[in-house]
Amino acid sequence: MFDVKKVREDFPILSRKIGGAPLVYLDSAATSQKPRQVLEAIVDFYTKHNANIHRGVHTLSTEATGMVDEARGKVAKFINARTEEIIFVRNATEGLNLIAYTWGRENIKKGDAVVVSLLEHHSNLVPWQVLCEEVGAGLRVIEVDDEGKLKLGSLEELLDGRVKLVAVTAVSNVLGTITPLAEISALIKKKAAAAKLVIDGAQLVPHMKTDVAKLGADFMAFSGHKMLGPTGSGVIWGKKEILEGMKPFLYGGDMIGEVKLTGTTWAGLPSKFEAGTPDIAGIIGLGAAVDYLTNLGMENVREHEKELIGYALGKMEKLEKEGLVTIYGPRSAEERGGVLTFNVVGVHAHDAAQVLDKYGIAVRSGQHCGAPIVERFGQMAMVRASFYVYTSKEEIDFLIEKIREVPKVFSI
Amino acid sequence: MDYKEEIIDHYKHPRNFGDLEEPCIAVRENNAACGDMVEVKGRLTKEGRVHVLRWRGVGCAISTAAASMLSEKVVGMDKSDLEKFGVDGVVGLLGGEINAGRMKCATLAYNAIKKLFDHATNS
Repeated sequence: MFDVKKVREDFPILSRKIGGAPLVYLDSAATSQKPRQVLEAIVDFYTKHNANIHRGVHTLSTEATGMVDEARGKVAKFINARTEEIIFVRNATEGLNLIAYTWGRENIKKGDAVVVSLLEHHSNLVPWQVLCEEVGAGLRVIEVDDEGKLKLGSLEELLDGRVKLVAVTAVSNVLGTITPLAEISALIKKKAAAAKLVIDGAQLVPHMKTDVAKLGADFMAFSGHKMLGPTGSGVIWGKKEILEGMKPFLYGGDMIGEVKLTGTTWAGLPSKFEAGTPDIAGIIGLGAAVDYLTNLGMENVREHEKELIGYALGKMEKLEKEGLVTIYGPRSAEERGGVLTFNVVGVHAHDAAQVLDKYGIAVRSGQHCGAPIVERFGQMAMVRASFYVYTSKEEIDFLIEKIREVPKVFSI
Repeated sequence: MDYKEEIIDHYKHPRNFGDLEEPCIAVRENNAACGDMVEVKGRLTKEGRVHVLRWRGVGCAISTAAASMLSEKVVGMDKSDLEKFGVDGVVGLLGGEINAGRMKCATLAYNAIKKLFDHATNS
């Protein structure tokens, strides 16, 4: 296990004060903070190597190209994929749209069906919803139980020969629910063997060891900025055989084979899906983030967060017994990522978050880009505190202490 | 940002909260980011000034207080008065200090009331 105090020293922003109070950053599910090593990698690129990639024979361009290739190799190794299966995009949302616009529009036809779950982030729901409306396919939704866990029985009923694609999150960004991907994959093989499985890995890859060879999936999207990397860096992983058969998403520079006025051929993987100049510095920063996480050890990262969420749930349940808060999502740390979701009784989530901000605590409030699951629990908004490698138990103690202050503000 | 006593007061005791019988103009406005909703119903004078206004909704302290305060302020205003009053006026009512993240909460009812005038012109 790593030493959280030491880890915190790597994150310059954690020494910031918010209105005089030390920053307690509990919004890592929205975006993570960045360690010095990632910031330095970006500065190093811009100060010493900046040039466009795949464009020149000069030294800088060759260096920049090599750095992007190296980062791709790091990401591939990190999730046990083949290098050419790693496609850089801006974020998970763009990755999921890429699949919907390419594989989806070529393969999903009138009368077919797409299965999603009620836990999906809007980015893994809306692209499929729009696609289904466009082509006349049906959108089927896996239900959840009262703890926000997927009902596998519900999935089993939804699967049949019409289902061409199942899009499901690995970890809910709203409730922290860890979904049973192995069971989901097995059910698909049993009841809709031809269907592809798309995983939203935005809350998985940053927090748990991920092995795409064992996931049983065909595609997975994730964001670099949620795993210590810079914004603008995201990844779509797909099985090579499937990616090779797909049409490009965007057309332009870098993704072409041969261009003639009479027609154009496409580059091989992964360039075929990377039109135009990518976020080169972002990709290099993501490579540094992968190094950082690898150094900590992903098993340790999960262990740390499991301990934190177990600790936080224990403390929150005391507040719940006092009638102060309502907790949403799974009650067992085994089944939950480092995401604590709650409401302060009688106080709107935004108001609770605003009061906590006064103490330097950054939590997210609202619908978390997951309106259907928030509404499933009869709420219009929820408060979410999310943890990462730099989160300490002291910060959770401080959060719990300050949650007690929230109702007092509104009790005049 | 602090919650001023006046905000808490309007939040806990919202003014002009309720339904309005026909004939009236009704507008519903949602804040998709946080699920807040406000429904404004009003009657205008022949000159297009607010005569009666009622509102209902679910939302945070800021959006509730803003709706409540505005519901008092806009009586007698016409469309150009409201536009002159503007978002700055709403922020002023709330004590002059609303951070960017809460502007959608602060302006939900304002946007609904603006639409009320548009609906009146169209009908």
